[in-house]
Amino acid sequence: MTTLEKQGPALAPSRSDGAPPSARRRPRRSASTYLVGGVLVLVCWAMVSPVLWTAMAVTKPTDVAFLNPPVFTYEPTMTAFVDLWQTTLFADYLVNTLVVAVLSTVVALVIGLPAAYALSRFPSWVSAVLLVLALVFRALPRFAVVLPMYDISRALGVYDTTFAVAAALVAINQPFTIWLLRNFFAEIPKELDEAAMLDGCGRLATLRRVMIPMMGPGILTAGIFVFLFAFQEYLTANILTDVSARTVPVFIATQLGQTLPMLQQAGAAAMLLTLPVVAFAFIAQRYLVAGLNNGSVKG
Amino acid sequence: MPKPRTTVVMRALATTISAALLLSACGAGSRTSSSTAAQVECDFPAPSKATSVNVLAYNSSAIDPFTNTMVKSCSKNQVTVKHEPIDFGGQVQKTTATLAGDTGTYDVIETYGFIIPKYAGEQKLRPLDEFVAEFDQEYGLSDINKAMRQAMSYDGKLYGLPMQAQMYVMAYRKDVFESLGLKPPTTFAELREVAGKIQQAGQIKYPVALPLLASSDIATAYDSALGSLGVDYVDAATMTPNFDKPEAAEAFEELRSLAPFMDPQVTTFDQPRVQQQMYNGSAAVAIMFSGRMNDLTQTSNSRFAQQFAFAPPPSVAGGDVLYNTLSVDGWSIPTNAAADPKMLFEMIASSVSADASKASVPAAYPARDGIVTPGSSPYAEAAQVSIGKAPPAEPHPWTSRISNDTRTVVADVVLGNTPVAEGTAQMQQIAVKILAEYEK
Amino acid sequence: MRRREFLGLIAPSVLVMGALLVLPLYRTVEWSLQRVNYGEAGTFVGLDNYSAALSDPRLGRAVLFTVGLTAVVVATLIVGGYLLAVMVNGLGRSKPFVLGFLLISYVVPNIVGATMFSWLFDANFGGVVNHLVSAVTGHEVLWFIEPWPNRLVIALDTIWFMLPFSMLVIIAGLQGVPSEVIEASRIDGASTFRTHWSVIIPSIRGVLGFVAIISIMDVLRTFDQLVPLSPQATQIGNESIMLYIYNVAFQDGGQQLGLGSAINVLLILLIVILLYPFIRGIAKEARQA
Repeated sequence: MTTLEKQGPALAPSRSDGAPPSARRRPRRSASTYLVGGVLVLVCWAMVSPVLWTAMAVTKPTDVAFLNPPVFTYEPTMTAFVDLWQTTLFADYLVNTLVVAVLSTVVALVIGLPAAYALSRFPSWVSAVLLVLALVFRALPRFAVVLPMYDISRALGVYDTTFAVAAALVAINQPFTIWLLRNFFAEIPKELDEAAMLDGCGRLATLRRVMIPMMGPGILTAGIFVFLFAFQEYLTANILTDVSARTVPVFIATQLGQTLPMLQQAGAAAMLLTLPVVAFAFIAQRYLVAGLNNGSVKG
Repeated sequence: MPKPRTTVVMRALATTISAALLLSACGAGSRTSSSTAAQVECDFPAPSKATSVNVLAYNSSAIDPFTNTMVKSCSKNQVTVKHEPIDFGGQVQKTTATLAGDTGTYDVIETYGFIIPKYAGEQKLRPLDEFVAEFDQEYGLSDINKAMRQAMSYDGKLYGLPMQAQMYVMAYRKDVFESLGLKPPTTFAELREVAGKIQQAGQIKYPVALPLLASSDIATAYDSALGSLGVDYVDAATMTPNFDKPEAAEAFEELRSLAPFMDPQVTTFDQPRVQQQMYNGSAAVAIMFSGRMNDLTQTSNSRFAQQFAFAPPPSVAGGDVLYNTLSVDGWSIPTNAAADPKMLFEMIASSVSADASKASVPAAYPARDGIVTPGSSPYAEAAQVSIGKAPPAEPHPWTSRISNDTRTVVADVVLGNTPVAEGTAQMQQIAVKILAEYEK
Repeated sequence: MRRREFLGLIAPSVLVMGALLVLPLYRTVEWSLQRVNYGEAGTFVGLDNYSAALSDPRLGRAVLFTVGLTAVVVATLIVGGYLLAVMVNGLGRSKPFVLGFLLISYVVPNIVGATMFSWLFDANFGGVVNHLVSAVTGHEVLWFIEPWPNRLVIALDTIWFMLPFSMLVIIAGLQGVPSEVIEASRIDGASTFRTHWSVIIPSIRGVLGFVAIISIMDVLRTFDQLVPLSPQATQIGNESIMLYIYNVAFQDGGQQLGLGSAINVLLILLIVILLYPFIRGIAKEARQA
């Protein structure tokens, strides 16, 4: 790693602004380029290996799927996937997961946006308290909130519904959106608001017609993060659901103590959940970098 | 920012992945119950409005036939019977949750003799006797084994309709035993000897596999060892725990004596992991519940499927009582279930009907008399011997609580973190405290 | 902005936080003073739960484990995230691909990722990493029952799924560093290391702070990954505070909801103490902004 520290960073500064490489340093760069390239290939490979290994395990014939020592060559089969679709309600779990994620993301943004805007424009002790609360709420141990929610949702008769899970996730993730979005708003000059208000826009209209269009990347970034949090949530969904609102992470977790062939199906479920989010990762990466770069994390 | 060309490639990649996902989704929608599901009579009158019935039952090849039969046969007359796959740990947790409070999610839950006294004592399960009387003829309920009905009763009332019995069976590799000239062990001493010989032969490093998961199965293992030595948790007549008896320490010593022959990580093994040890050929002897045995005989699961033979489990010190637990599994109706209990009873009765029970063989050992014969399955003979030589059950509400609350101590002693004497003293203390709550 | 407008804009958010966070939190505090079961009314027992929690050595071990894990993982995330960010940021056309690959572990749910991770190490399931390690070192490492190897697996898994976030945020920060500043330092003859240490890192201090605070919060809450990765967490001292609460309040029959709640309250206090420096900074900024 010491060579990395010395050589790796040599690349970044000269390229980060997209400036053409200076001819003077070309020979040195190419050596370190190979080194950096090699390191990155290794890192990528290490990061992907758990997924690859699982992909192998679920496409192996069942009797060698988890054989020890492992087999590396085999005739691939899709039986685990077919059985998963046919013998479980995987499609329902997938729909539940998506409904919860989309619903909670939209609501968290709709509620969080005006609050974040207000906090960025109205410095006061109330703002300070709210921001600190948002920070503390972001850090709360889930159980402190979810165990009472379990009790409350049963009392209200909404236990085991996607609504209850989505509501819980709005509560849990909304503070983070405020926090992220406030920094975006802070980057937009106040003069713009004033100009819009002079033109006769009210506060809400200013927010809707002027601010939100300018916040595109910021909203997208916050949205992607909140969506991911909701999509990944295990603990909340595990405690607030039984049968009707089960999500995929909960389903997979309840299959870990199964034997063959169901264990292999659990692996297949993990792969089916992973594939779309991998596609999502490839699409989302550039919005995330662009969005974060726009100033959200300067605070 | 990515160059345009890269963007195109990225899009193509994303599209391919989504297409792959959709393709594999083509088989979806046609939910078929496993082939073990029987179609049986399930003749409840149609309820006044559409109802869904939620069934809580863990998945194993022995439980699935009954669950699937219920789902398949009783989903009609505007009623949908729903069952979601769940593992045993999940079932334990969901049972506690659904039985707490005035309303619960589940209408039918899978229970076993060990937990009946606790939940029946708390009035969380519905007594079934009046329904048994009413539907005895229709579903042939008197053919269900008397002792098993007894095992699902508390205070003279039946709280669970027995579907099957599970007892410990020992599975072993007959090829390995034959090549070394070994016989299935009948005591722990013989087990150690046999295991030592297999170990010496060099092929299999850790020949013995037991489900000793520190957060669950280990309590049952200790109870089985103690039972084989002829001692109960508690002397019910005097309400005193027996952990201060020499047998309590002996049970620990005997379990620990197997350590050199078991995988060092055996305390992370639940029953499916023990099965995996056998599938992979990592172990040559395993002792676990009979409901897990049929999986071993499936060639689709293991290359060694044809090589597994079955015997009753050994006894710990050579007595008549084996290292064994007899567990009766059945269906219970929670007191807080929303659906009509009479309808629910007809469902559970139909799922344990004679036809359904026959269809569950060889995966299960049904509770009806005369269904299992020595030729029913490769392990049936071993199971029939084992069922008659199990330690007696302790049908008291404190039994499962003592088992639960002493489990971490048991794990620490087996793992060698706590000396035996200290462990048994702690267990005695915990048990005395629990018993005090039941003394009038 | 007028006060009335301000209040109107924050009202929905305050209402949601009040109803869905403050109310449950109030219930948690209430429970922490009771002996209580789910669905039943509790009986007031004063501070009994707190004294029970504080006298349980298991809690002490859980705090030690959680804080230790947090320290190691957060340090690795910042150093590793920075190095990785610098390398990835210097890439040309291949950057989106590399980023896409690196983000995979971040988008997979923790519990699913940890399950996949456990299969790499579990001998019983033919774990390939375990297989390689045994082949190379010649002896079997007990990943799931030996405290330190198990801690290593847990830390590796946590780093595995959190590193991409750290890298991503730092890349965004690096792109905000003006190139003139870097050029100037180079012209002054500073070494690459010097440029990073005294020019780039100070100018993205805020970003690194952001990574630190988010990571601290998330690692303190470690729960999901322990379910598949540490089946014997309690016995080997690898129980996180959250797992301890779960075991006490939910897993073992739910008899000890009061005790679980008391530990929740204690954990909140611990988190607030650890985050205090950040809280002060934010409060100051919000009053001035």
